[in-house]
Amino acid sequence: MADSPEEIYKSIKKIKVIGLMLAVFTILTVGLSYVELPTHSLNIIVGMILATIKAALVALIFMHLNHEKVLIYKFLAFTITFVLALFILFYASSTDPLVFDGF
Amino acid sequence: MDIPYTVSARPDTGLYNAKVGVWLFLASEVMLFGGLFSAYIFLRVGADYPWPVHELNVTMGFINTLVLIGSSVTVLLAWASIKLRKFTAYKVYMAITIACALTFMVIKSFEYRSKFTHYSVTMTDGTILTGHLPHGFDIEFGEVNELTLTVAGKTASIDANPVSYVLPYIKGTAPSFKTEAGEDIQLDSTSFAKLADEARAKAREKQKAEGLKETPNWSIKLKAASPITFSVPPSKLLAKPALDAKSISFRDGTTVEGKIINDKMTIEVDGVDLRGTPEKEKSLAWNEHYLGSAWKNFFIHQRDEAIAEFSKKYDDGKGGLSRDPNKSATHQKEQFYLHIHSPKPESHEASNAAHGAEVHAPKEGHDAGHASHHPEVQLERKDVQFYSNFTPKLNSYYAIYFTLTGLHGLHVIAGALVLAYFLIFDGRRLRENPEHMANRIEVGGLFWHFVDLVWIFLFPLLYLL
Amino acid sequence: MSAAAHSHDHAHDHGHDHHELGFVNKYIFSTDHKVIGIQYAITGLLFLLFGFFLMMLMRWSIAYPGQPIPGFDVVSSIPGLGWVFNEMIGRWAPGGVVNGELYNMLGAMHGTIMVFLGIVPLGFAGFVNFVMPLQIGTIDMAFPKLNMWSYWLFFVSGVMMFASFFVGTGSVQTGWTMYSPLASTTSIAVTNVWMHGHTWWLLAMVFNISASLLGSVNVITTVINLRAKGMTWMRMPFFCWAMFIVSFLLLLAFPPLEVAALLQFSDRVFGSSFFLPTGLMEGGQHLDISGGGSPLLYQHLFWFLAHPEVYVLILPAFAILAEVIPANTRRPLWGYKAMVYGALTLGFLSFLVWAHHMYLTGMGTMMSTYFQITTVLISVPSVILLTGLMISLWGGSIRFTPQMLFASAFLPMFGIGGLTGLPLAFTFIDLALHDTYYVIGHFHYVVAPGTIFALFAGIYHWYPKATGRKMNEFLGKLHFWPSLLGMNMIFAPMFIQGMGGFHRRWYDGGKYFEQTSSASNWFTEFTSSFFSIFGMDVPNNLFGLNVMMSVGAFVLALGQVPFILNFFLSIKGGKEAGSDNPWNATTLEWAAPTPPPHGNFDFEPVVVRGPYEYSVPGMEQDFFPQWESEPGKRAEPSAAPVPAVTAHH
Repeated sequence: MADSPEEIYKSIKKIKVIGLMLAVFTILTVGLSYVELPTHSLNIIVGMILATIKAALVALIFMHLNHEKVLIYKFLAFTITFVLALFILFYASSTDPLVFDGF
Repeated sequence: MDIPYTVSARPDTGLYNAKVGVWLFLASEVMLFGGLFSAYIFLRVGADYPWPVHELNVTMGFINTLVLIGSSVTVLLAWASIKLRKFTAYKVYMAITIACALTFMVIKSFEYRSKFTHYSVTMTDGTILTGHLPHGFDIEFGEVNELTLTVAGKTASIDANPVSYVLPYIKGTAPSFKTEAGEDIQLDSTSFAKLADEARAKAREKQKAEGLKETPNWSIKLKAASPITFSVPPSKLLAKPALDAKSISFRDGTTVEGKIINDKMTIEVDGVDLRGTPEKEKSLAWNEHYLGSAWKNFFIHQRDEAIAEFSKKYDDGKGGLSRDPNKSATHQKEQFYLHIHSPKPESHEASNAAHGAEVHAPKEGHDAGHASHHPEVQLERKDVQFYSNFTPKLNSYYAIYFTLTGLHGLHVIAGALVLAYFLIFDGRRLRENPEHMANRIEVGGLFWHFVDLVWIFLFPLLYLL
Repeated sequence: MSAAAHSHDHAHDHGHDHHELGFVNKYIFSTDHKVIGIQYAITGLLFLLFGFFLMMLMRWSIAYPGQPIPGFDVVSSIPGLGWVFNEMIGRWAPGGVVNGELYNMLGAMHGTIMVFLGIVPLGFAGFVNFVMPLQIGTIDMAFPKLNMWSYWLFFVSGVMMFASFFVGTGSVQTGWTMYSPLASTTSIAVTNVWMHGHTWWLLAMVFNISASLLGSVNVITTVINLRAKGMTWMRMPFFCWAMFIVSFLLLLAFPPLEVAALLQFSDRVFGSSFFLPTGLMEGGQHLDISGGGSPLLYQHLFWFLAHPEVYVLILPAFAILAEVIPANTRRPLWGYKAMVYGALTLGFLSFLVWAHHMYLTGMGTMMSTYFQITTVLISVPSVILLTGLMISLWGGSIRFTPQMLFASAFLPMFGIGGLTGLPLAFTFIDLALHDTYYVIGHFHYVVAPGTIFALFAGIYHWYPKATGRKMNEFLGKLHFWPSLLGMNMIFAPMFIQGMGGFHRRWYDGGKYFEQTSSASNWFTEFTSSFFSIFGMDVPNNLFGLNVMMSVGAFVLALGQVPFILNFFLSIKGGKEAGSDNPWNATTLEWAAPTPPPHGNFDFEPVVVRGPYEYSVPGMEQDFFPQWESEPGKRAEPSAAPVPAVTAHH
């Protein structure tokens, strides 16, 4: 944790830069959504990649996950695992065929 | 009694209690929104209609995104200010954060309101008309001489209450009624309670006399002194009445006999969506007494233009197309979605329409400023399959939109309340134990960033993609 | 380091302060973990009793369909209570005969109350609040105020659930699983959807989930950050480990249920179609809905919670037994480490098996295969836990106190429940047994003679710590034997009925399904001739087994009378515990004064050894407490190793 005044001044600067980057990425997201890529799925993928980058900036810098304690990484690892299980299994079960030909 | 590690961190974990707590709470929140996002995936994958893209107000959503990002920055600056012991700066930054939260909610409420007053009507052939219902939608049902209320005996009396459920929908004032006993009454809650008690007692007597296991249904019949006309929204009825219904049943169990006088739906059309219509040129919307052939020609013109533009854009140089027009959602929308901004097709387009344009002129004297922008049509109920305003009822997209943004909005409110509490009521802690205060702001800030993080995903998923 | 000592001083100060608290702050809106634990436990016990009462009505209706409930007129004529009974039950039971609507309500509410308002509050919240902070040697939970909020939110949810019986429509009727689309559309004939028992149920669940969220955040933070000096992870009693894992299950599995409840709420109140497919018809009419949703979505969200919930119900039982069994066999817990890792694996896997409840929903074969594999996998850690407890009995000098009786009955009972569950993991067997009484028998063996027996064991075990007196042993035995008999009389015949094809939702007990219910075998013959000794005319077929089960329920009810008497009478009249450590146990809660004051310990506990040091070779006494450096001498703070400071990343 940045505790000395110099470090805090440094981090204030960083925070402002990241804030600006987020705004830029938002503009980029909106702009790209009006560009018709070869398929709409591609639009979704690109949009989600941009959103993930923004989310990562917020999580890593604003929520200081770039230098957090091991314990918190452990919590989050489990949570992310289960959320992914939720996404993947929901998706798989809504597209899974009734007839199964083996692996 | 002081709990250890509220201010300083425990050496072996390196964390103070509140920080462990808030991260656990956030993990739970991740699962909450994870569940909602997986519902979003599930609904979108299974949607049997074109998923709306760019249908919400992108400008408002964009502004809201910036507002939330700004507030995320200021809450961090507030925390840094405490660490530097600059208390005035801290207060200013916190106030800005809370103001941002309020701005967000105000913008959101404008977005919501415009959706609540905007309607979508699906016709029986799949054509969708969107627009405003200047008078709402009520079914007029007249020539009613008798009210019959039947209540199932075994469920006691769940909701049987014509006084509050049926009388408000009478056009004009309610007449007096004649009971079965021949008494003349004004129907109100006291007289109804008396009637209900009598009817119930009679049913119980019958049960005793005949040795029945269950209380038989009881009913009240009331003859009206003069014929009544109802004007009632269909949602208050037990079932959708048939087209030539001779009786309708209210949800509280009251049945009335008579005939339908008027069940036309007046709508000021601002859009026609033909993507779900099998034969676009024969759509019900082009009926002469609806939008008529002028708009149909306008539509054909727009569609042909869209097709021409598409072929030019994706010409592969060998006389074919480099992109399948049926798989381009944008192209489908450009072809088959008609925006209507004027009461009649605009003149330069109208010239293309050889046939005489005959569109119902807006009725005079009614909300002229608004109606003059849109053709007003009166839909017959037989042509209407489903209608709703743009609320969760409309389709699974709006359902998940309102759930996600509504829940996110609740988080914004909760976060703003917590931050406001820190700002207003925690002055003493700020002066006496700024390190503890910094911890609190850090923890509150973590939650606030999480709210921002959720919005970062919501914005593209709901507004853009 | 210094913070712990610092707080310790404060604990002394508060030894005086807590007398100044008023009655309300001390016992009602208390922030003391022990009071909150007891509040949770008593509320949970009351709800267990209430759920049991609902079950008795169901059992009557099943065994004697169409016949009035005995004593119906007497109860309904009691002033006050009679009114409550009539508003809740009577108006649905004309002439005292349980009708279909009432049976559905009873079934739905029995499930809900037992799971969410009975076992979880008692088994998890009650015991963890009372015991865990003592066991890890801290003064209170990490967030005492949140702890209080947790209890009161839970209380609100309980009141709302109970009140839903009194709403005009009565309570929910769609089973405790609330499957849509049925559960989304049952509001159709109501003028005000807010005044519907179902809506209340959904809102009550939101309160309940918030309560368990606060509770679990509190437990995890406390275990992580407030352990006493020397209490390393592997010196932590298994009780704390198991509860720690349960907290994670509650924390991460409940939110999807909250989502399901909110979406169903939206379907019912705002008319959306999250769980309603396109073209859904009811009563020959298309519903006025947009469609486009999926009933499968509800089941996924629901079971994502409800499978981990099964382990929320069973892990507290293992937690309690891991304390009760070593203390009463005077032997260390066998395979402590294996059990800890087993419980962790169990917790992890429990998130990945949920759809084995959904084999019959038309899920694809690949998904079914996946869920079969994970389901069979999860039986491995369960067996490790049970084996650990079972081998702990080996070679011990067992004291058959009431808690030990319950604990030793748990082992075979849970074993039956577990083994009968294995066949259900396979799709082809599940096709036949799905929704039959076989399933009911299976999970009731796990939670009723399983978990509930363990909870009784826990109550007998920690009662002296809470009150300073032991519960009466004779009454305890009088409680145990009828309970064991009653439980088995109820649940064992369910397997036979289930394999015969009895469906779980029949409110007439199968009377009108003659082809199924007229089958007979040696067991039905035994039942029939057994009851004929008492002059009862019980048909010699599967339907006749209902009588045996209902008599079993009655025996079980009678068996609880000594417990209730014991519970209240022993507060003042029980045998005095004699010391702070009446069972000669080794874990830290027995080091605290009895009953523990606000702030818990009168010395700073320092842990110098593992939690189960019983019968250490070469020692005179057969237990070696965690807090003693040598027998009878408390360890000094210097005896504890300095915890390593984690590096900054």
